[in-house]
Amino acid sequence: MGEPLLSVEHIYLNYHTPQGETHALEDLNFTVDKGEFVAVVGPSGCGKTTMLSLIMDLNPPSSGQVRFPLGPCPMGYMLQRDQLLPWRTVEKNALLGLEVQHRLTKESRERALALLQKYGLGDFLNHKPGQLSGGMRQKAALIRTLALSPELLLLDEPFSALDYQTRLSLADEVHTIIKEEGKTALLVTHDIGEAISMADRVLIFSRRPARVKRQVTFAFPKDMSPLDRRADPSFQEYFAEIWKELDR
Amino acid sequence: MIAVSQEHLQYLKRIARRRHAVSITRLLVLVVFFALWELGAALGWFDAFILSSPSRVLAAIGRLYTDGSLWIHVFTTLYETVMGFLLGTGLGVALAVLLWWLPFVNEVMDPYLVILNALPKIALGPVLIVWLGAGMSSIIVMAVLVSLVVTTVTVLGGFTAAEEEKRLLMRTLGASKAQTFIKVVLPAGVPHMMSALKISVGMSWVGVIVGEYLVSRAGLGYLIVYGGQVFKLDLVMAAVVILSVLAALMYGAVALLERKISP
Repeated sequence: MGEPLLSVEHIYLNYHTPQGETHALEDLNFTVDKGEFVAVVGPSGCGKTTMLSLIMDLNPPSSGQVRFPLGPCPMGYMLQRDQLLPWRTVEKNALLGLEVQHRLTKESRERALALLQKYGLGDFLNHKPGQLSGGMRQKAALIRTLALSPELLLLDEPFSALDYQTRLSLADEVHTIIKEEGKTALLVTHDIGEAISMADRVLIFSRRPARVKRQVTFAFPKDMSPLDRRADPSFQEYFAEIWKELDR
Repeated sequence: MIAVSQEHLQYLKRIARRRHAVSITRLLVLVVFFALWELGAALGWFDAFILSSPSRVLAAIGRLYTDGSLWIHVFTTLYETVMGFLLGTGLGVALAVLLWWLPFVNEVMDPYLVILNALPKIALGPVLIVWLGAGMSSIIVMAVLVSLVVTTVTVLGGFTAAEEEKRLLMRTLGASKAQTFIKVVLPAGVPHMMSALKISVGMSWVGVIVGEYLVSRAGLGYLIVYGGQVFKLDLVMAAVVILSVLAALMYGAVALLERKISP
């Protein structure tokens, strides 16, 4: 394997409130290869989301650096809630990022529309988000991100606001979309099952100040869907292993 | 067309009937009110010189119409109110945008805004007359003052109500502050702006009428003061009736605008 797509090196992050200083991340190191799907699990409040906003360059770290050895890497961010703008149609919502970055051309628009079409939102282009189910809304949010053609997708607990059934089927769909579109993904989640079913590798974060405690690479057959992985006997073993590590 | 069940038809009929009942009763309330007023005056239940009566009010309006002053008074007041309303809401919204844009200034200004909002702006009336002279500009400035602060406070509240996460989304998309404002904060603030407009319409009328009480040679407020001084209560009531109609029409226009703008 050559150079990774993303390299997080010796990241420290402290944040300050009038009540005092919190050490959120302490000597955080990991890499993500091109085309890889990496999940991050850890106790809640351990700084997983903070790490994503560092990678996205929304906040600077206290020290350390985030590098992209393969060159500049366009990124897309997917939030916990879809945050679709209720006064815009699904189509207009999907084009929001392109509009903001002044990249809305005939081609980019058609690409976004094709994505909506392909992933089952074609009949809802002129609907307002309020008329869609939670799963479809989150899918529209993903397409809003994909329309910008990012190389690396940062997923911040994108299914946590959905009910269980929707969560399972949407995880399946999103996994398919990410693989089909050939994207690299970094998924933050508190759901161990979600991490095992979707990712190639999982990083286990420690309690605050967070660092990578351990990582587990999954040996599922290639192209196995998240739902099939959940039915696989090794799923339970991985689950127990990660659970024990988190608990320790 | 989907087939509609009997049950659903019945339901639709029921809500239509209810709507009619409400409209008819509303009209009835008005008719009964005026009928009792007229009847009471005619039968001497109260002194028609003090309380006037619908026929006397109509006669007073008729007199104003024939001597040609009706439209002068109506348009003077209407002009002042519309100007006060437009300037007050315009400046109020502009000020809200400025304060949203500059959080430091916003934080500094916060207690002053609270005090200005609580202060009865009408108290400044005599001062305005000294500064601006006893003319129409004092009246319009009065109307502006009365609607300005409440507009700023309400609209600013709408802007800050735009969720933190929506602004985070815009940052992840690489949006500038201006883009975030135009695409997220402003549209999210529309409902607040609409309620600000509705409050502001009423406030402008208050400002103008009080202004006309203090200084004026024409207008409905002038008619009310003049009528009161010379004990022509018919004239006072006539002005109040015209005022209610105008205020209702202006409120209706804003409500119509609201329906046009919001989905």
